[in-house]
Amino acid sequence: MEFDETKIKMSVTRRGFLTTMGVGAAVAVTGRYASGASSDETVMLPEEMAKIRLHVNGRVHRLLVEPRWTLLFVLREKLGLTGTKVGCERGECGACTVLMDNIPRYACMTLAVEAQGFEITTLEGLMKGEDLGRVQEAFLEHDAFQCGYCTPGQIMAAEGLLKDDPEPSPDAIRRGMSGNLCRCGAYTHIFEAVDEAGKRKRGKS
Amino acid sequence: MLSNFAYVQPQSLKAALKQLETPEARLHAGGTDLLGCLREGIFGAKKIVSISGLNAFKGVRETSNGGLRIGALTTITQVERHPAIRSRFRALSQGAGEVASPQLRNQGTIGGNICQKPRCWYYRGEFHCLRKGGERCYAVGGENQYHCIFGGENCFIVHPSDTAPPLVALEAVVRIVGPQGTRSVPVSRFHVPPSEDFRQETVLAPDEMVTEIILPPAPSGLRSSYRKVRARRAWDFSLAGMALAITFKDNTVQKARVVFSGVAPVPWRSKEVEVAITGRRLDKETVARAADAAVREAEPMEKNGYKISLLRGVVEEELLAAQSGESPG
Amino acid sequence: MKNEEKGIYFAEGLAVPETPEPGKDPKPWKETNVVGKSRPRVDGYERVSGSAMYPSDYSLPHMLFGAVLRCPYPNAKIKRVDTRKAEQMPGVRAIISAATPEARVLWPYTPHMKVELFDSHCRFEGEAVAAVAAETPYQASDAVRAIDVTYEVLPFVTDERKAMLSDAPKVHPAGNRVGPTEHYSRGDVAKGFEEADVVLEESYRTECEIHTPMELHGCLAYWDGDLLNIHESTQGVYAVQSKVAEVLDLPLSKVRVMGRYMGGGFGSKLQPGKYTVIAAILAKITGCPVKLFLTREETYLCTGNRPASNMKLKAGVTKDGRLTALDFSVVGSGGAYPAGGTLLVDWLVKDLYLCPNVRTAATDVYTNAGPARPFRAPGHPQGAWALEQMMDALAKAIDMDPVALRLKNIPSYSQARKGNPPYTTTGLAACLKEGAKAFGWEKRRKEIAAEKPNGSLRRGVGMAACLWVAGGGRPPSTIILKLFSDGSVNLNMGASDIGTGTKTVMAMVVAEELNVHTDVIQIEHADTGTTQFATPSGGSKTVPTEAPAVRRAAIHVKQQLLEMAAEQLKADVSDLRFKGNAIVHGNDDAKKVTIKDLKGLKKRGVVVGVGYRGPNPEGKVVNPFGVQFCEVEMDIRTGEIRIVDFLGANESGRVMDRLTFDNQVFGGITMGIGLGMTEVRVLDEGGSGKMLNKNWHDYKLPTALDVSPRMTSFPIELPDPEANITGAKGLGEPVTIPTAAAIANAVYHACGVRMTETPINPTRLGVMLSDRPKEA
Ligand SMILES: Cc1cc2nc3c(=O)[nH]c(=O)nc-3n(C[C@H](O)[C@H](O)[C@H](O)COP(=O)(O)OP(=O)(O)OC[C@H]3O[C@@H](n4cnc5c(N)ncnc54)[C@H](O)[C@@H]3O)c2cc1C
Ligand code: SF4
Ligand code: FES
Ligand code: FES
Repeated sequence: MEFDETKIKMSVTRRGFLTTMGVGAAVAVTGRYASGASSDETVMLPEEMAKIRLHVNGRVHRLLVEPRWTLLFVLREKLGLTGTKVGCERGECGACTVLMDNIPRYACMTLAVEAQGFEITTLEGLMKGEDLGRVQEAFLEHDAFQCGYCTPGQIMAAEGLLKDDPEPSPDAIRRGMSGNLCRCGAYTHIFEAVDEAGKRKRGKS
Repeated sequence: MLSNFAYVQPQSLKAALKQLETPEARLHAGGTDLLGCLREGIFGAKKIVSISGLNAFKGVRETSNGGLRIGALTTITQVERHPAIRSRFRALSQGAGEVASPQLRNQGTIGGNICQKPRCWYYRGEFHCLRKGGERCYAVGGENQYHCIFGGENCFIVHPSDTAPPLVALEAVVRIVGPQGTRSVPVSRFHVPPSEDFRQETVLAPDEMVTEIILPPAPSGLRSSYRKVRARRAWDFSLAGMALAITFKDNTVQKARVVFSGVAPVPWRSKEVEVAITGRRLDKETVARAADAAVREAEPMEKNGYKISLLRGVVEEELLAAQSGESPG
Repeated sequence: MKNEEKGIYFAEGLAVPETPEPGKDPKPWKETNVVGKSRPRVDGYERVSGSAMYPSDYSLPHMLFGAVLRCPYPNAKIKRVDTRKAEQMPGVRAIISAATPEARVLWPYTPHMKVELFDSHCRFEGEAVAAVAAETPYQASDAVRAIDVTYEVLPFVTDERKAMLSDAPKVHPAGNRVGPTEHYSRGDVAKGFEEADVVLEESYRTECEIHTPMELHGCLAYWDGDLLNIHESTQGVYAVQSKVAEVLDLPLSKVRVMGRYMGGGFGSKLQPGKYTVIAAILAKITGCPVKLFLTREETYLCTGNRPASNMKLKAGVTKDGRLTALDFSVVGSGGAYPAGGTLLVDWLVKDLYLCPNVRTAATDVYTNAGPARPFRAPGHPQGAWALEQMMDALAKAIDMDPVALRLKNIPSYSQARKGNPPYTTTGLAACLKEGAKAFGWEKRRKEIAAEKPNGSLRRGVGMAACLWVAGGGRPPSTIILKLFSDGSVNLNMGASDIGTGTKTVMAMVVAEELNVHTDVIQIEHADTGTTQFATPSGGSKTVPTEAPAVRRAAIHVKQQLLEMAAEQLKADVSDLRFKGNAIVHGNDDAKKVTIKDLKGLKKRGVVVGVGYRGPNPEGKVVNPFGVQFCEVEMDIRTGEIRIVDFLGANESGRVMDRLTFDNQVFGGITMGIGLGMTEVRVLDEGGSGKMLNKNWHDYKLPTALDVSPRMTSFPIELPDPEANITGAKGLGEPVTIPTAAAIANAVYHACGVRMTETPINPTRLGVMLSDRPKEA
């Protein structure tokens, strides 16, 4: 399904992306025109695939999608980014958490077409080559998981939390992590890991 | 999985309104409720009209008279954290903070939150109930532990929103745009009780949309709060909750608006409590009387009788906290 | 990893455990260098980087997606399945139903109860009716919706309490009893009650709980000629292999099941599901790989549950705290097929405390609901809910501390088993005493007693104890360990790591014995094609089953190395021993050879050690024990409860990895909080019989805000030399058994209301509080 993949520099920011694309273009979709549509929009038809561009982990992906495809489905099954997990597809578990412009959201509750124009970061995007990011490292060292299936979502939620609040109190950590279920019940270690990752990011240890 | 639909993301209000004229078009703001409804097959959608590109309706602005205009596409997180809302309309900030989970608050919009569909599990499940055009309400004689104790009549949903009760308490107004132009409706009259129409949750016509929510200036000395009790401490709807907007004069209640969540098909204004406390000190007796008044008209179903004692507890707690000036909730 | 000695041997000159002569058991470890320490997981990097491939993550060229059409009624006969419209839909490649010859196979719900894969009589909501393979999961679900089925809807019974009524619809023609009521008795219960100073009687109920592991149930199936390959999210690849081979009539060798990573199971993935077989058939018919993972909603209906338990317990105690009699009964249902609806619910009543006179009765009935599957410590949390609340009530009635009452009734042998075999070790008393001290039990009780009520808030503490019926592990297990010429190691085992840290613990055992870094141990596991036979990971038996075999395999390697060294050094094996990275002569330090300089090893390239799990001690019982303490704060106006502190004191023999040990303790408590406070399956009993909360929002798991902000794991380490050669017992299930009861006891302590039914939350507690307001 992926017919083109343009590598772009990792440093491209959302703003940079928008300026190169133009605000309208970032959200509009090229492709088929349905009758009667005004000039500033395109109707994607149900039975046909339409072209979209997704900006994931610093790369642009051009894809053909059905309007109903979720970002979760596209990430996992079309882009092979299986670090993002699927638990419920109903916004009820957090396994699919990704960052969109640095804000944690559920990929299962986001249509792929709606994710255009955002800079999307998945677990894979936290890696620095072979090296783990700070939150990942803290999760590993604090054993903040058991089966590990909720873990990518937890890590993304923690990344988002720390971006927003670099020095979260224990309560803020618990609240910030309350959109991610862990059936194995590794919460205690998750709290420790988030706390530790925050400290490391602040350069305190 | 979702059935297929057409999708369009208009770039102007005008274009959006035009798109909404398509039969079976559904408006998509953050999509968090809409996609769930479509997944459950509660209703179909021929076309999704996404208004997420309408930047004009994102964010909070001060009005000249000291009120606020909240764009319909402002996310719940933004509402929760906005400094002016936090300081002057605390109930709304608290209500927003009680919604769902952090991720859903980051994505869901305030417009979508007050327009969301009910959470009755028959409605969300494979039951063709009254509200979906069927013959009967399955909650009657069924598993109605999460249903309403006020205002049921024929359909016994509770209104799921945690932002609507504070908005009603704060006397907010919804701005609605449609093919006919613009109209303003107080949030208190925005939701439709089943006694009026059990097929419809709001006064919106299918081709109308909410563009803004307007908060009138807060009277001086206003204290407002929102308190919610739920079965799980996060990511859960209200079992019983209360939004309170209150002003005092010489330690007695000058004016109060009390609105319940989780107990009625619409945000439930309790004039009974308001009357019981206005002009009085919130001492133990008054509060106890107010709690009695709160539930006097309640009509519990077979399995939700607990909501009566729960609501009483919430009313007592909130009023006592308001008197002591403690931060309730 | 740098391929040099330093990278391989973690400590030069460290003592390496002695190598026993062939055929002899090794001595228990005394001082350990690796085992018992806090070791982050050996596969942690994979899990946090996203590179771990879970079965649901695999994709193959030409892969199709499967979806299952399920019966929407709790009891219905299928009259007609019309797939014509669905077949014409875009992307649809195959549809199978009862009419498909390839799908006419028998599914064994039990060895004695086999039904058609697509049975024309659906006895529970969610039974499979037909299935589709299509190019996208969206198209597959479109097609499932387009299949037109005509059902004859039949009357149903979904409540086990009503299944025995004379007018209850029959789930099976012979009626609703799975078998006769099972009775157990010892001593003379009537006499026991006569001897008692206090006799209490109470009814208890725990609600039906659904496993809902994070990774959905399902698999990716594909054929290489006549070889069926399956990547399944499972706790046991061999269990999947044998059942799939049986159903599809294939030789075991032609079914290869792989399940290296898996996202949780808690018992629900000890076996394959119909979905596994369906995926295999769809793959066969289409000639394409088929990925079939259930939707979350489906997992609520047909992948098992912990049945609701309706219990009655009458108990007698003397003033000085001796239990004189226990009389217990339970009614439960494993759903529409035999699935252990009351399995082990009475075990704690029979075995946890000394009591000469005990009687139990268990009645298992059929209902029109999804069949149960074992759920973490089957039966035990339910039994603990009754027994441990009763102990609390008895203690109060005779004015004794609940910990003290339990301490008066500690058995050293298993009373429920024939011949009263002794436990190899029991840490129950130590868990009680030391756990209570660590938690500050007495101090907190005193403080709370002295406290003036703070508005509507009340504090309370509670505790509960347990044992777990299994947890000793058992044969079979075969481990193959390969030591390469540079000293690095490959460990090959069949067992799955279900998140408990199995791989890490096994690597630590190898590291301990061979003095190598865990990092240079590569583990191959959970693949019937390339790894050894293993029973599924469950029952808290994986560590005590596999670890001894791993230790034996490592010893086998060492024995061979010693022989090689003996030849090379022209010495006697009995004079040689391992020291650091070398083998040295006992009397003559100059006589030594490093492992990598062993000529024999260089020549062969590898030394293969094989280890088997030895038998368990005869006439003895190996059980783990545990006690939990908690403190809650509750709002008596609203019935809201906040757990403020939890402590788990667990005796599971040797602590293998302190980090994963603690994690298990916290995870077990979290799951117990779910049973106690949030989880309940809601069936539309009076109406459609359908499940109303088959999603993670209406069926509530504890979130980060529901668990205790403070949790302490307080291991009571008593290495058990008799249990097995590692001294470890199981841990994964005892950690969740007493939790719910401990919370209930704390709630009682806080407000004087005895919550005999789960879940304890404002929907239930509020009513109780307003019905019987009491001062604590
Ligand atoms: C798991 C879960 C838990 C939740 N828990 C809570 C909770 O505890 N408390 C709570 O209050 N809410 C809760 N919600 C609801 C959530 O807050 C709403 O889904 C969200 O606020 C809706 O916003 P949205 O922008 O995503 O709306 P959408 O899903 O885009 O829209 C929702 C509905 O409103 C209509 N709509 C949206 N915007 C407009 C507009 N501007 N004009 C006219 N119609 C419009 C849409 O057509 C649609 O029917 C929960 C949701 C989920 C999925
Ligand atoms: S309460 Fe309303 S939505 Fe629920 S079943 Fe009854 S009619 Fe339908
Ligand atoms: S898969 Fe998105 S929240 Fe569960
Ligand atoms: S680690 Fe298994 S669900 Fe969180």
